[in-house]
This record gives sequence, structure tokens and C-alpha cells, in this order.
Amino acid sequence: MPAQLPPESHYDLKKLDKIFAFLAIALLLSIIGIFAKDYSRQWKDYQRQFRALEIEKAQVKMNEQENDLSKNEEYQQVLKDLKCAKDQLKEQASKQERINQQIKVASAVLNIHTQESQFTKARYDALKYRYEKAAYKSQPDAASLKKQLDTLAVRIEKLRLSIEADKTEVNARKNMLSAMQKDVKEFGRKREAFAKKADIIERKLAKINPAQMSVANQFAEMVRNLPLIELANPNYKIHQIVLQDIPEDVNFMKVQRVDRCTTCHLGIDNPDYQNAPQPFTTHPRLDLFMDKNSPHPLEEFGCTTCHMGCGRGTDFISAAHTPRDEKQMKQWKKKYGWRELHHWDQPMLPAPLTQAGCFKCHENQTVIKGAGRLNLGLNLIEHAGCYNCHLIKKYQGWPRIGPNLEFIASKLTKKWAFHWIDNPKSIRFNTWMPSFFHQSNNSDEESTQRGYQQVHAIVEYLFTNSKPFKAGSVAVQGDAAKGKELVSSLGCFGCHQIEDKKTDTIRTRDSLHREFGPNLIGLGSKTTKEWLYQWLKDPSKYHPDTRMPNMRLSDQEAVDIAAYLIKDKSAVVSKPVPPVEEKILNNIVLDFLKKSFTVADSQQKLQEMTREDKLIFAGKRLIRGYGCYSCHKIPGFENEKPIGTELTEEGSKDVERLDFGFVNIPHTKEAWFKTKLMNPRVFDKGKVLAHLDKLKMPNFNFTSLETEAITTALMGFVKDRPTHSRLADQSVKATFINQGAKTIRQLNCRGCHIIDGEGGAIQSTVTDWLVNYEGKDLSDAKAVTRSLSPPNLFGEGQKVQPQWLFEFLHAPTPIRPWLHARMPTYYFHKGQINSIIKYFNYLDDQEFPFTDIYHPTMSPQDLAAAKKMFSKDYFDCTHCHIVGNQIPGGTAENWAPNFEMAAKRLKPEWIAKWIMNPQDFMPGTKMPTYYDPRNFDASAPPDILGGNAKRQIEVLRDYLLTISEHPPQQANKPAEAKVKDWENRTKAPQSK
Amino acid sequence: MEAFPVPLKIIMEAVKHFINAIASPKILFNIVFLFYLIVFPPFKFFQRIHDALGIDRLWTKRGGIFIFSLMFLAFAFGLTDANFRLIVLKPDNVPIVALLFLVVFFLWFAMTQAKENDEAIAKGDKPKEYADSREKVLVFPDLVYIEFLCLIFVAVLLAVWAIGLPAPLEQPANPTVSPNPSKAPWYFLGLQEMLVYFDPWIAGVVLPTAILLGLMCIPYIDKNRKGLGYYTYQDRKMAINTFMFFWLVLWMFLIFIGTFLRGPNWSFFGPFEYWDHNKLEVLNNINLSQYVFMIWLKQGMPSNILLREAPGFLVLAVYFGLLPAIFAKTIFKDLYQRIGGIRYSIFVVFLLMALALPIKMYLRWLFNIKYIIAIPEFFFNI
Repeated sequence: MPAQLPPESHYDLKKLDKIFAFLAIALLLSIIGIFAKDYSRQWKDYQRQFRALEIEKAQVKMNEQENDLSKNEEYQQVLKDLKCAKDQLKEQASKQERINQQIKVASAVLNIHTQESQFTKARYDALKYRYEKAAYKSQPDAASLKKQLDTLAVRIEKLRLSIEADKTEVNARKNMLSAMQKDVKEFGRKREAFAKKADIIERKLAKINPAQMSVANQFAEMVRNLPLIELANPNYKIHQIVLQDIPEDVNFMKVQRVDRCTTCHLGIDNPDYQNAPQPFTTHPRLDLFMDKNSPHPLEEFGCTTCHMGCGRGTDFISAAHTPRDEKQMKQWKKKYGWRELHHWDQPMLPAPLTQAGCFKCHENQTVIKGAGRLNLGLNLIEHAGCYNCHLIKKYQGWPRIGPNLEFIASKLTKKWAFHWIDNPKSIRFNTWMPSFFHQSNNSDEESTQRGYQQVHAIVEYLFTNSKPFKAGSVAVQGDAAKGKELVSSLGCFGCHQIEDKKTDTIRTRDSLHREFGPNLIGLGSKTTKEWLYQWLKDPSKYHPDTRMPNMRLSDQEAVDIAAYLIKDKSAVVSKPVPPVEEKILNNIVLDFLKKSFTVADSQQKLQEMTREDKLIFAGKRLIRGYGCYSCHKIPGFENEKPIGTELTEEGSKDVERLDFGFVNIPHTKEAWFKTKLMNPRVFDKGKVLAHLDKLKMPNFNFTSLETEAITTALMGFVKDRPTHSRLADQSVKATFINQGAKTIRQLNCRGCHIIDGEGGAIQSTVTDWLVNYEGKDLSDAKAVTRSLSPPNLFGEGQKVQPQWLFEFLHAPTPIRPWLHARMPTYYFHKGQINSIIKYFNYLDDQEFPFTDIYHPTMSPQDLAAAKKMFSKDYFDCTHCHIVGNQIPGGTAENWAPNFEMAAKRLKPEWIAKWIMNPQDFMPGTKMPTYYDPRNFDASAPPDILGGNAKRQIEVLRDYLLTISEHPPQQANKPAEAKVKDWENRTKAPQSK
Repeated sequence: MEAFPVPLKIIMEAVKHFINAIASPKILFNIVFLFYLIVFPPFKFFQRIHDALGIDRLWTKRGGIFIFSLMFLAFAFGLTDANFRLIVLKPDNVPIVALLFLVVFFLWFAMTQAKENDEAIAKGDKPKEYADSREKVLVFPDLVYIEFLCLIFVAVLLAVWAIGLPAPLEQPANPTVSPNPSKAPWYFLGLQEMLVYFDPWIAGVVLPTAILLGLMCIPYIDKNRKGLGYYTYQDRKMAINTFMFFWLVLWMFLIFIGTFLRGPNWSFFGPFEYWDHNKLEVLNNINLSQYVFMIWLKQGMPSNILLREAPGFLVLAVYFGLLPAIFAKTIFKDLYQRIGGIRYSIFVVFLLMALALPIKMYLRWLFNIKYIIAIPEFFFNI
């Protein structure tokens, strides 16, 4: 600062100095502020809290261990011994001291010698080079160098000897010492063996608990976490998982995924923190996620792969957390100051929708195990046929969901069709046919009237274009009561229901199996007895692509069932149909005409049309507009494209592309999907729209639970997928399993059978049948339901031969004639049977070609042994099993399959394993366990084949495979009537 | 908002509705323009209003307190409204809110000093700055020290700002999603607002170039030796009034509009209105040539482009050719004589270019004029 103020200065320097001083302090403070802001992070607080929690948990464990040890007498004894040994050692302290001193001296000598030896060697090597060079060039000093070299060599050798002597000396002393300490070490080791766990915890505590650290470590602990210095190796740092092959799509490129969630979610993969508060809580499904041995280890899958959100975010808001509901949102706002992170396209999935994350890798699976809600959503999409109008890549090639309308005139009346299209749910409350009319955007008076005319037009088009179909006449009289019994016993209820009232039951994946076919009410108003008869006899005649299989009904059976079904009539259908209003119809036609022609031309064309022309013209346009042909086969629309938005990547759609209109809901995708599904027309609310511009998606009347499930699936239909290597089930085997699973799903096999642990929806109706027709009380009925229901197909791949399965699926023959439910004959598409065979075999780890050739030959001794085991005195096989035409005694629910089929049907390896332990294959089976799996050989009958259980089973198996050559004696003859009944059933009429 | 009693709420809502209504550019521009004319009167007529209202009293300490109390009150009132808060408190918009206050402050500060000097001169005294050395100013401390202090001050300001209001980061850019509204940086919002009325090549190229050239020309056009080295208004009335038109009306005001009143789709929103991206505005504009041939002459458009656009060319020729001459004989008579033909021509052309903007605005609002000359065949539209 200049000493004298220059007079020319405009400013008062002293004042400026004061400002300078003030600003300098402000600058210092702001710099401190910068560091403070940078240093104080939410996640550090969490890590500190977690550490305290960790110490607490370790302490508790430590105390437990110590407690255990204090109760352990052996351990106490070892401690006593150890103390004793130490005391003894102390008594010899002076001797120890002396030996230690000697070791020190000897070691010093050893060191000196070693060092000298190393130095000499170095000199030797250098000299060697000089000598070699001199010798090569024949220099005069070569001889003298050689002499020096030799001297050094001698010296090195001498040193080596002294080093060895020194080492011996040192070792000898050390051995003396360790001999003295032997007891202490021995007991020390014993103590360690007991206290291993406690020691580990103690070491951990010493690392993390400042109270148990040395002063130096405490200081280091403090320093390493100081601002700026913390960049080196702090305690509190960001944890991140970097995933190369599950990239994040940032629009212009794909970048590696970086998940920093574990920075705060510190206990996520540790089962000890199940009850810890968030964010430390353990993941609820460690069996599936996080754990190294689970299918989705944390290091390989991270967090945002499934949960979405911003993995790079390190605080509550920047991670893009999404609350599960309104209530949680309020809590979060209060607790974390939560707000929506606008600037992130894929916020975290709210907890109820988390399963959406499974889909991106598991798309090719029909059932994604463990993801119940997602599966329900997918199943609902399949049942509602969403993929018919909306392209979804997963469902490409799936069949049309609605019935064939090519021959509609032969099946329905116009009146029924009118009422049905106008309001399907009024005729059948739970139909999958969605409602197009009387919705929120077309229920005003004008639209309702217009709607009636639209329905008239659609009906007219369908009936005019209907192709001829002759139902044929029914030869015999039907008995409705008999029909009712047949419907409840034959297995119709695997796919159908007959429910005339809405119940409160919630749709589940299992109950959906029974909605595979329509609810069979009101058929009397819908169609004729003749048509029904024809349909029941052979559904493919009317609808070649139908999924209704052929039940191989006899004429009488078909007539009986038709007579029963035709009895129920719907009241709605008898209501009068509103007349055709030409004026409104004209407007409808004109609206369509004006799209392609001038108004004058349109008027002209309208004038030229007859009423029928108008109806047919409008009908065609309306069918196209509403997309009826997407679900139904309709003549004239064979090559039309589906009308809906593609949904393959709907979950990645930008929210900006969704029209929320004037509906006041949160602007999120999930809210939009849910609202749309609850009421597809809702976003027209408050808008001024021409009739043709209104939303057209029909209403499926989903419940809120169902919309939640479908929303879960939709949210899973995302764009960014992991690299191919990370997709689930890429093996050839898995591909075949998935193909088969698809067929099984499309044919609704699980309606009757339990396959891979799921299905068997029919069973409750079997109970009902037993109560109503077999006179059993409910508990008895329930007890035998499983035996009288279609079989559980557990282990089917191991069990049956592929050739047999092929033939069986192609043309089923009764295996369990005591069952009333009948395995139908399906109209398989190309490859479907094979896909099922492969499915079962690969599911049970069978290798292609799934079977071996095995022709057993039996020696007379073996045969005798087998027959003996077969007999009443031993296993008494024929007590339950049928052999050829021999029927066992007792009632049908105790019967078991015919042995004669074994050779063609069963795999030999399976028979052996089955006899060995049937419970292994089918827990709860009626088949008795003859051999004790825990005490195998001892449980064998000792007097057969020397009590060798393995041989006995082999012989039994071989006998079964050749049983038609050596039939056993019939055990006990059943009553005549039963035999007749049985014969009737095995000869059940085959229509094909 | 819930905290206020019901009658007050109703009044406040009414005020907000009123402000929203007058915030429409057609009205607001007139208000601001009128305000400008009264505060910085370029003509005698407005001078009289200016004197009658005693606007000069604003340029005193009391006036300052009055101005800022009014501004802060208005701002505080605005903050009671959620929609207002949403826009004004956006981290991106903080500089512009600050700018509003700063511009007014510096305007007031300069005018107050000018007024003091003017009064001193009127009394026959010297202006305040006369006391300063007229020969030289020391680099230290008069320049370097002050600069250094400013440097520290700005560093502190930025640091505190950065701590208090972290930079707003957005998601990865997506080429298929453009932000709505898409806005230029705040200092270019005036230019972006011009795009509503002009073609990009004029609003984005010609006019900005003209602004730069015009600024460069000022020292050569303005020969007035009075008012050098001290603040004065009376001695440089013409220059200050003209500049204030460019600065306040054509620059600051447009930035203000672009920031606070232009929402999604560049639609216009009142300060208390929700930015609804569904809002639609009527944009039925027609060209001058269509007016002439289709509406007045009731005939088809000529096929010859030059003939078709002849009315436009004529208007332009009159505007830039005839008007300067007329002005030289009438309102700018004194000026013309004072600064000479060349300086006058340059000045008047820049002035006319600047005036073209409000003129075009009025033509748009009153007659829905889209272009004076419209030759889309060659991307030449004025």
C-alpha cells in the first residue's frame, strides 16, 4: 500500500480497504461453505448410522459368543490349562531371557556373514566379467585377474560354511525356546479352535468400533475422513456396481449401468438386517436376488436393472425413488423432503409394480416363477386378447381370441347379436367380450341413439356376409338331467363355468383357467339345439381354428348336453330391439362417405343407397373402425392390420406422449395405464369431439386389482434390454421348454392337469360332482377329489415314453377308466404335440431322444420271484392295479392304472424308481411305499432273491414290462355290475 | 394462499385475473410503450404530461424507495400464487428476476445522479464529477483496486449462489423429445421473441447484426460534446430517450416477455396462468400481397413474383427511401442540421429498422399481417 495517498484518487482508500477486508472474509467463508456443502452428504450420514448399527449387531453377537463360551466347560478347562502353562513359562523367565540373548548374538553374526557373502559375490561377478573379457582379448592382466578371482571364490566358499554354522546355531536356540513354549502354544491353539467365531467378530469390532481401537488407529480413523484428505481412502465412500452388459440407453448411445444404491442400502444383501430400518433393510427375497448363490447376484445384476430409477443418484431425490401410493408419498415428503424428479425418464417402479422389471429378461417365458402379479397381468392380456388389436411382439402368432363369425347366421339370431354387441355384459356378466357402447363418452342421448344404429349396421353386415353352414338334425331325444350330470363330470369345467350370478371372488391365475371358454349361460336365447349338438360333436366343423377340443361324445351324450345347455334363457334378449332410424343411419353413412368424397357426391351416393346398402356400408366401416376383425374372423376383413397402438415398448414411452386430457391424475405412465384400463374412454372427458374422433377402445370392466396387474406387465414392456447373454433361458433346452409351455398355455392344459406345480382348476368342480351325484359328503368328497381328478403331470417326462405320449395326445385312450373326466382330442397345429413332448422331457432333464430300447428277458427263477412279490402275501399289486381285463375289488377311487399298458407307456428306469419310492415322485400318492428309503435293503422281503432290494425291484420292473406274456392270477373278483360299468367306460364311444 | 381470509382472496383473484388480461402482448406492449413515452418523453406532447405528473421526482431517494417498494410489493403479491412461483422461482429464471430489479436500480441510480448534476448546472454550479481530476485517473487504486474488489465480490456471489441453488441437471438428451417450450438462453430471448414477427434470417441474422453495427456507430453519430464525463439528462435528452426506447422497450421488455410470459408452444400466458401445453392460439395471418390482390382488388394472385410482391416493395421503398427525407424536413430538422447528411442517414436507417419491430407488431395485431414481402420461393420474407 503506498504510504501517501495520491491526491488524484477519486476514492477513499481507507474505505476501500475496509470493503476489501469484508470481502476477503466473505470469500473465505464462502470457500468454507463450498467444502462444507461438498463434504456433507446424506449418504455419509446413512453410512455413519449403519456403522453404529453394525457395531451394535457385532456387539450382540460377540456377547452371545462369549456367553456360549463361558458356559462351555471344555473351553474353561482349556483356559485354565493355558493359564497354568503360561505361569510355568514365567517361572523360567531368566532362562528364556538368556536364550533370547544368545539368539540375538548369533543372529547378528549371521547377518554380518550373510552381508559379507553377498558383497563378495558381487565383487566376484564383476571380476569374472573383467577376466573373461581380458582372456578373450588375450590381454596381459588376464592371469593376475584369474588369480584374484580364485581367491574370491575360496573366500565365498568359506563364508558359506560360516553362514551354515551360524544358522545351525540360531536354529538350535530357537528350538530350545519353542520347546519351552510348547504347552502355551498347544493350549493357545485349542482355545482358538473354540473361540474362532468370537475372534473373527472381535477382529471386526477392532476395525470398526472406535472404542476398541488403538489410539493411533483412532487418529488415523479421524484423519482419513477429513475433508480433502478423504479422497485417498475414507471410511465413508460411494459404493457402486458397474454393469457393462446391462447397459443404460441414453438415446444417442448405450452406456454402462452404474448403480450406487448400495451406498445407502448397506444391509441389502445381509440377512442380519431384516428388521433394521430403511435404508438398511435386507432385501425381502435373498433366495432370488442379491445373494452370490441366488440366480441374480448383486454384483451381476445391480439394482436399477429391475427397479429402474437413476442408479447414479446418491441421495433420496436424485435416485428417482417413487412412492407406492399417496400415503407413502406424504410420509416421504415429510421424512425425506421427497419431490418428483422431473428430469429422469425412467423413475423407480413403485413397489407394487416392481415385478415389471422381470419382463425385460424373462420375456420368452410363459410363466415367470415368483412374479405372481406380472404373470396375472400377462394372463389377463392373453385372456382379454389385448394382443389382437395391439401388436405385442411376445404374442405374435397367438390365435384370435374371439369366435369365428364366418357362419354367424347359422348360429345366432339377429336379435341376440344386437343385444350382445350393444351390451354383452347384460347377457353374460363375466364375458371377455368388451363393451363398446354405453360408455362414458357415448352414453348421452344422441350417442346412445347413434349407437343403436351402429349396432344395427354391424349386425346387418355380419349376417349378410355370413357363409352357409348346415347344422344337421338331431336324431335322438335329449335328457337335460343326464346332460347336466355329464357337464359336471366330463371335464367341461376345466375351461367353462356355469355361473348365472356375479360373485365376489377375485380373479386369480388359477380361476382364469376356468374362464378359458365362455360361461355357458343363456344359450337357449343364443342358439339352437341343433347347432349346439353339432358343435359338441365336432367343434372344428363350425370353426376350424377353435380351441374347443373334441370330447368324443356319443350322439346320446351330445344330445343330452345340448338339451341341458339350451334350457337356460337370458331375459335381456327377449327385450325389443330399437328400430332402425333412417335419419340417424343417414348421418352415420354420410360421416363415412364424407371422408372420401365431397359433400355433394356423398349426398348423391346416399340417395342411391337402399336401407340395406346403408346398413352394410356403415357396418363394414364400423367393424373396421372398432377393429372387431382383430379378435373375430369376419368375411371381408381377412387382410386387415390390427388397429391399436403397438405395446411392445409401451413401458418406455415418454409420458409426454400420453394424453391426460382433463383428467386430474398424477402425470405418470402407471397412473395413465391404470386409469385407461379402468375406463378406456375416460380421457375424452370434457373434450368437444366429433363422433368419429372419440376414443374407441372398449371397456373390459377390469377390477382395480386386475388393472394393477396389467399395468405391471405394461410397465415391463420396455425398450432397453440387456445384452443377449443376460437374457433368461437362452439354452436350447430352455427354448424347447418355453415353446411347450406356450402350447400348454394356449390349450389350457392346466385347466385340468397340474403341470409343473400349477393348475388343476377343475378339482373343485370334481368335489362338487362327487357331492351332488355320487352322494358323498363334503369331507369325503374332498379326500378323494385328487384321485378322481385328471392326473397331476409331475415328472411326466421321466415317466412316459415319447412315442406313447405322441400317440396318446393324438388319439387319447383311457388310462384311468374310473375317472369321469375325459381327456379330449385336440385339434393340434403343426408341431404342437412335439412341443409338448419336448416340454415334459426337457423339464425332467431327459436327454434326446428321451428313451432307450429295453427288451427284458426273464429267467424262470426271476419270474417265480416276481410273481411271488406280486401276490397277495407280499405287495398285492392287483389289489388296486388293473391287469388286462382283470379289475380289482373295492371302489373305483382306489383303482390304479392297467399294468398291460406299462410296456408301451412307461420308461423302464422310471418304473424302478417309482417302486423304490413313489412319494419321491408324487408326494401323497396312493401307491404304497414298500421299501424304506432310509433303510433300503433291510426293508426288502428277506425270502425273495436273498433279500436283495435292488434285484427285487429290477425283477418286478421286468415282470411288469412283460406282464402280458405271463398274466398273474386274478386276486378277487369284483361284482358283476362293476365289471359291466368298467367295460362300458373303456369302450367309451370314439367319434374319430 | 390458504392463509388469507376469504374476502381478501377474492380481491386477490380479481387482481390476478385483471393482470392476466392486460398481460396480453397487444395490451402490455401499449402500456409499456406509453409508460416509456411518459418517463422518457421524445416529443413535446409527452414532455408536458411528464412535467404535469412530476415524473422527475422519481429520481430522488424518496422516488427510489417508492419504485422499489412498489416492485417488491408486486413481487411479493405474485409469490402468493402457485403458478407465478413455479415460473419465477425456477433456478434457470433467477438471473432474470435479478435482472429486472438491477435494471431498474441502475436506471434509477444513473438518473438520480443526472438529476443532481442537472440541478447543479441549472444553478450555475459544476457537476459532481467536476471535482475529479480532469487530466488523469490513476490505474491504482482507481482501476485495479476496484476491479479486484469486484472480482472478489462476484466470486463470493457465484459461490453462494452455487451453494444455495444447485445447477439444474436434466436427463440424457432425447432427439425425439424436445422440451416444450424450447427457450434460448435468457439473453437471447429478445431475439427469440422477434421470431414471432419476423423470418429467422431477419430476426436471427439481420437485426442482431444491425444492433451491433448500430452500437458501433453511436460514437460517430453522437457529436454532442455536452455531458462528457458526468451524468446528465437535460443535456443529452434526445440521446437518452432514443437509447431507452431501444434498451427498455425493444430489449429488456422482450426478454421479460420471453422468460415469464411465453409458455409451451410459445403461446402467451399471463403471470398467474398455468402453463397448459394444450392451450391453442389463433394464428390466422396473411401477407400484404394477399390483402392487396385478394381482398381489395378481389382477384387472383399474379403469377409473376415481383408483380405479386410489388406492394411490399413499394412500402419498403417508402419506408426506407421517403421517410428519412420527410423526417429531415419535419421532426428531425434540428438534428439533420446539427449532424449533417451522412450521420443523419445512418442514424435514421437504424432507427427505422428498430421501429420496424413495433410497427410489425402492430400490423400483426391490428391487421394479421404476416409478411410485407413474402417470397417463400426464395426464402425471402420480410
